Amino acid sequence: MPIIVNLDVMMAKRKMSLNELSDKVGLTLSNLSILKTGKAKAIRFSTLEIICDVLDCQPGDILEYVKEITIKTR
Amino acid sequence: MSKKNDVILKVLHVISWVVFIGLCTEAGALIFNFIFSLFKPIASHNIYKGLDLSGIYEKQFPHFISLMSFVVLLAVLKAYLFYLVVKIFLKLNLVKPFDIEIAHLIEKMSFEAVTISILSIIAHQYTKRLIHKGYEVSNVENYWNDTAAFLMMAAILFVISQVFKKGIDLQKENDLTI
Repeated sequence: MPIIVNLDVMMAKRKMSLNELSDKVGLTLSNLSILKTGKAKAIRFSTLEIICDVLDCQPGDILEYVKEITIKTR
Repeated sequence: MSKKNDVILKVLHVISWVVFIGLCTEAGALIFNFIFSLFKPIASHNIYKGLDLSGIYEKQFPHFISLMSFVVLLAVLKAYLFYLVVKIFLKLNLVKPFDIEIAHLIEKMSFEAVTISILSIIAHQYTKRLIHKGYEVSNVENYWNDTAAFLMMAAILFVISQVFKKGIDLQKENDLTI
């Protein structure tokens, strides 16, 4: 998927573990893990809001759009 | 879910078990009597619930075998169909109803119903030909006079299985929305 979740990068910058973030955000570890590994299909604004609040960052710091390059082979 | 629906589901579960056991008994009795009639021709006078195929047994034994094979096969397939219904009731979880296993079971039931209806059509045509030839086998028609119902059931079940598959996709998406 072209949307990349950089939650692990932000967590590393803030020196925060997944357990700590889970406690502060109020999301379960499994849901945070789904988000971190990029398996999530969608994210609620409320979830994004609270993550941004806890990590003191912007949504753009967590989500990134990378254009997919298709290689044509003959 | 309301208490009324809960009661209805429990009643349906019990009914499906009763029907399944009834069909198993019928299939078992037909298989036993069929095998028994091969050794004791007298049994062909009353194979199951008054089914008398003694005429064709005496005149054309291979036709008797074919007719009985249809009867037994259909009884077994109908019993298996209701086994799938019972299995669905056992697996059904109304908190998370859209389960891939249940979707597969519904799809299997649909194919099973199609198989029953196709086999019934073949058996019906075969019996018609025998009657045309002058054999008295019209009483066996009762075993495959519900072809249209099974065909309709197959179509409805197929549609439900497709809706279920869409439901699974939606549930999966919902589960992965954080």
